[in-house]
Amino acid sequence: MDAATARGGDFADIFVEEKKSVGISCEAGKIERILSGVDAGAGIRVLSGASTAYAYTNDLSRDGLLEAAGIVSHAAASGKKGVNLEFVDVKPAVNFDFKERPEDVPTEQKVAVVEAADKTARSVDREQIKQVMVGYGDVVQKVTIANSSGDYVEDERIRTRLVVQAVAASGQVIQTGYEAVGSLCGFELFKRYPPEEVAGTAANRALEMLKAKPAPAGRMPVVMASEAGGTMVHEACGHGLEADLVQKNLSVYTGKKGQVVASGEVTVYDDAAIDSRYGSYRFDDEGVAARKVNLIENGVLVDFLYDRLTAVKDGRQSNGHGRRESYQHKPIPRMANTCIAPGKTDPQKIIRETRNGLLVKKMGGGQVNTITGDFVFDVAEGYLIKDGEIGPMVRGATLTGNGPEVLRIIEMVGSDLGFSIGACGKDGQGVPVSDAQPTIAIRELIIGGASQGKPNGKIRRI
Amino acid sequence: MDKDEIFLGSAENAVNKARQMGAQLAEAYISSTKELNIDVREARVETMKLAEERGLGLRVIREGRTGFSFSTDLSPQGIEEASRQALANCENTAEDAYNRLPSPGRSYADLDIYDPGIRDAAVEQKIEMARQMEESARAYDPRVKIIESSAYQDGESLITVVNSLGLKAVYKGAYCGVYIALAAVQGDDSQSGFDMDFSLKYKSLNPEKVGREAARRAVRMLGALPVTTRQAVVVLEPYVATGFLGVIGPALTAEAVQKGRSLFAGKTGSYVASDKVTVIDDGALAGGIVSAPFDGEGVPTARTVLIEKGLLVQYLHNTYTAAKDGVSSTGNGVRNSFKGTPEVGATNFFIEAGPHPAEELFRDIKNGLYVTEVMGMHTANPISGDFSVGVAGLLIENGEITRPVRGMAMGGNIIEMFANIDMVGNDLKFFGSKGSPTIRIAGMTISGQ
Repeated sequence: MDAATARGGDFADIFVEEKKSVGISCEAGKIERILSGVDAGAGIRVLSGASTAYAYTNDLSRDGLLEAAGIVSHAAASGKKGVNLEFVDVKPAVNFDFKERPEDVPTEQKVAVVEAADKTARSVDREQIKQVMVGYGDVVQKVTIANSSGDYVEDERIRTRLVVQAVAASGQVIQTGYEAVGSLCGFELFKRYPPEEVAGTAANRALEMLKAKPAPAGRMPVVMASEAGGTMVHEACGHGLEADLVQKNLSVYTGKKGQVVASGEVTVYDDAAIDSRYGSYRFDDEGVAARKVNLIENGVLVDFLYDRLTAVKDGRQSNGHGRRESYQHKPIPRMANTCIAPGKTDPQKIIRETRNGLLVKKMGGGQVNTITGDFVFDVAEGYLIKDGEIGPMVRGATLTGNGPEVLRIIEMVGSDLGFSIGACGKDGQGVPVSDAQPTIAIRELIIGGASQGKPNGKIRRI
Repeated sequence: MDKDEIFLGSAENAVNKARQMGAQLAEAYISSTKELNIDVREARVETMKLAEERGLGLRVIREGRTGFSFSTDLSPQGIEEASRQALANCENTAEDAYNRLPSPGRSYADLDIYDPGIRDAAVEQKIEMARQMEESARAYDPRVKIIESSAYQDGESLITVVNSLGLKAVYKGAYCGVYIALAAVQGDDSQSGFDMDFSLKYKSLNPEKVGREAARRAVRMLGALPVTTRQAVVVLEPYVATGFLGVIGPALTAEAVQKGRSLFAGKTGSYVASDKVTVIDDGALAGGIVSAPFDGEGVPTARTVLIEKGLLVQYLHNTYTAAKDGVSSTGNGVRNSFKGTPEVGATNFFIEAGPHPAEELFRDIKNGLYVTEVMGMHTANPISGDFSVGVAGLLIENGEITRPVRGMAMGGNIIEMFANIDMVGNDLKFFGSKGSPTIRIAGMTISGQ
């Protein structure tokens, strides 16, 4: 830190990381690949005015670190400023308890989870389930963060995930069912989500889709069930609430703080401090303690997601959303667990009162223009609603609309809450996130019926 | 000792260690990379990033089972731990007789892929490039109001592959490039534009041109409105055509064919596109951004014609898929990093340039759409080829481009679309490693209002 700030700068920090990961993949009933390894390195950053200098290395020797620090020190032209190297531990707002650490679980046991999922998915229908792909992953990430304000944080994040994809075919029709679970936790994930259940869900979804009729096209009311998760709120609205995009005028929410931006039924928050969710953490990647941040309260825009750099620009404190993929990346404002808050309406009543429309039970992949909020999403599992009852399943539906507009035309908000997980890829940096929503009724969206999209559970941004 | 000797030594140590610990076959891949990124906003450096990374990927085979591990710790202890993990991983994977490593003895092409001019240029010059690009974009039109990113990037890598059959290979490569993303604004209307230029030669970068092109792309879309549903001749801009090519890319790998998820399975020797279309993968392409003498397994790269004048000739292979099909690897065992195994993938992948200057493609179109943007390309079904995407672009009326159009949908089947290509431009342009010229499709349904 001393070397990095030798020539000045407003702020400097170092992020030292050691990440151990295991990945197991199974296809065609065979354990194809088992990968494991360690990636360790450090990133050093100096902020000087609006400029960021960043260098990283995986040479963690004293010389390696001093060399990286020397490189970034050249960026500061402002002369030596006060640097506090009397590091003090930052206190977290929450603590998480990891019960079954992945490194204490033998590989055979992890393979058994994958095999159980594969076997179950196939056994659902030996005729029609043609292909099953199962992916298991765990990550143990240890980080040390220190900065020129004297903050010092050591943290450990353990994440475990399981992904099952089943392909079903009947005649010429091929359909895919996808299910993913993951959390900030160890192997105990599978007590909460037995692999057989995850696999059954994926396989049944693929089979149901075989029987489904092509979705109708046109404008119609849409009910998104809580099981659909918050992909829409994350992609179509959440990115516009990240302070860097707001400050660069790349968000529809720029300059709208204090204004009504959504229906009065709608409250949106991001809470990284929830226990055992995929996007959770004790500290963000700048050593700021995680907390719940209300973004939209009863339709009124109240706050944005900040990292340190954007917080300085707005003359305030970070609210704990400075995240990075690894030591190779500079932190930027990111979501963690983004949620539309549950309301008071019984989800069954929402379907009854919608009378006719589309019920979305699982979202697929999508694409969003973050400047305008325009989106296209696949529906991985959808049903027609007829006379207030859940009708036949439909396939190939896509939802087209505008994120900020959707928040304005949410007419009912259910009392339930469902999560989905993903890897968000903003600026080419993947970070684990989850998002959640209750059952909601949207006045109207454009449904495209022609697509046969393969839900990939991942989101692509343009 | 030179860096390449150090890494060669580490790779040999890793292979020897793995053999000692029980591997029948072992392969070490070491990459050492340096990267520089400069992002400019409003003539000031917003971010300067310098990166140095090196790491080992170790693959072992024992009794037909394969195991893999990786590490950034290249010390003897790090290598021993990696060997232990790779061997442990291999105990739990499925046995497969086609798990093999390539034999040594094949010669590598001498490629011009390391321009010392990239490393030698001063950082100030590189910053200036990003500044010039931003400035030329703003100067193009006052409505270019938002510069999302104006960036210069370069990198160099030293790649080492050693295997226990005696293969030893090393190469050094470097690239540089500029990228700009921006938006033009008029009233409530905001339209985005971008352009990029990546090259193996520092001197060939032209940031002013890239800045102007991005600005032109955004400004020409201002005021875009939907039009009525129509049957139209469609001209795809190289970037859009490259996007469609990207959708069929995975289906041309032998891995997809062998696993029954390729729409080209069983179709070699038959027509899969119009006779105007030739699709090539060339890992040794002169000036190609990912050109290298060998792939991630040490197999020499090559020019592989996949579709020749519409006829499907062959698929891309790595050592595993080639062994399974009883053919030779095409040198397409691609690694994204030392942290992954070599998978079948494209290198420099493109539609070959045709005979026509791009403007000729427009000349006799009475009613057409010049598609410049596509949304939702990923929803295309890679197995059936069905797609339904949102499109935006410029209307073509009586051979002239008349006005911008957005909010339209275009659906169909990608194989049918490739069969209906009736003209191919001579303006092949690369976007990173993939490229296409402008192409024209005889007729598509465009849905609008």
